[in-house]
Amino acid sequence: MRSQSVYKVPQGKLLKISVEYNKRNNVIKNIWITGDFFAYPEETIELIEKKLRNTVIDQEQLLEKIRSVITEYHIQFIGVDAEGLTKGILMCKL
Amino acid sequence: MKEQWRLLQTGFNTAFSNMAIDRAILVANSQGKVPPTVRFYGWNPPAISIGYFQSVAEEIDVNACKKLGVDYVRRITGGGAVFHDKEVTYSIVIPETHPAIPKNILKSYGRICNALLQGLKQLGIQGTYAPINDILVDGKKISGNAQTRKVNTVLQHGTILLDVDVDTMFSLLKVPNEKIKDKLIRDVKQRVTSIEHIVGKKIHFEKVEAALKLGFEEEFDIKLIQGILTKEEKTLAIQFEKKCFSTTQWNHRR
Repeated sequence: MRSQSVYKVPQGKLLKISVEYNKRNNVIKNIWITGDFFAYPEETIELIEKKLRNTVIDQEQLLEKIRSVITEYHIQFIGVDAEGLTKGILMCKL
Repeated sequence: MKEQWRLLQTGFNTAFSNMAIDRAILVANSQGKVPPTVRFYGWNPPAISIGYFQSVAEEIDVNACKKLGVDYVRRITGGGAVFHDKEVTYSIVIPETHPAIPKNILKSYGRICNALLQGLKQLGIQGTYAPINDILVDGKKISGNAQTRKVNTVLQHGTILLDVDVDTMFSLLKVPNEKIKDKLIRDVKQRVTSIEHIVGKKIHFEKVEAALKLGFEEEFDIKLIQGILTKEEKTLAIQFEKKCFSTTQWNHRR
């Protein structure tokens, strides 16, 4: 199943996330993170999307995965953060 | 003697060419082939640029753009969708290691926006920098800015509105909820301003260019020397335009 969320990050930017996931076990098949935020280097957003595949839509697991990718690839976000991304993804499930 | 940077006044070009030129300057500067560069430019035809992370389908009414002869292009910088019509656009390209540029990205937005504020002052306009990436006058947005850092080089570009047509802008941009579109347009009209609105008369593109030139010179304590794109930059720009910015693959990648 595929669903979308629009989430305005507090003090930040507008996040629009689209998630395709397995409704039985809530595992992400595919994810598209769009919006008017900034990320450095920009190309790492595709990497985050890729790494989020096969992750369960669960606050703790998402946060852990996103934080580990941010650390590993030295990603700097402006206008959004790991918590904001997690919230946007969780909103897709509601 | 003051440090000399290059000034480019490339006039009006298509969206694809404009984005390609900025990227070509970024590459040339990263290779040490050209000095720090400040560029002023305009858009012909008018165009929408969207941020690197935005989705064309979600942000742009492609059919309305076609009907009105408005181009659209994806930037290499993040940030939001912009309708480029009556405005002066600038870009600055400078090594990340240059002492004028704070290492901290947010601080560097502020530093570069200060140059724009100095420029606006030349026109008798008092503005303020509003993080992350806006400049406000009387609490209303007059300028939006976006920065990328690649190959140890900073590229920041942004707009300074000469005039603004919010109705046309919203006929080209999609809104998340059509039901509240009218209210959104009213809100944006309240929250956006322009140089012509503030000074109450028509202001020429060239006058704003000249004011911004002084703004950059004052803020960075440098001298801007009129220059042209190098042959290599021109060749690169044509390549970027052809292989990237004018392609569906690039513009519709998200």
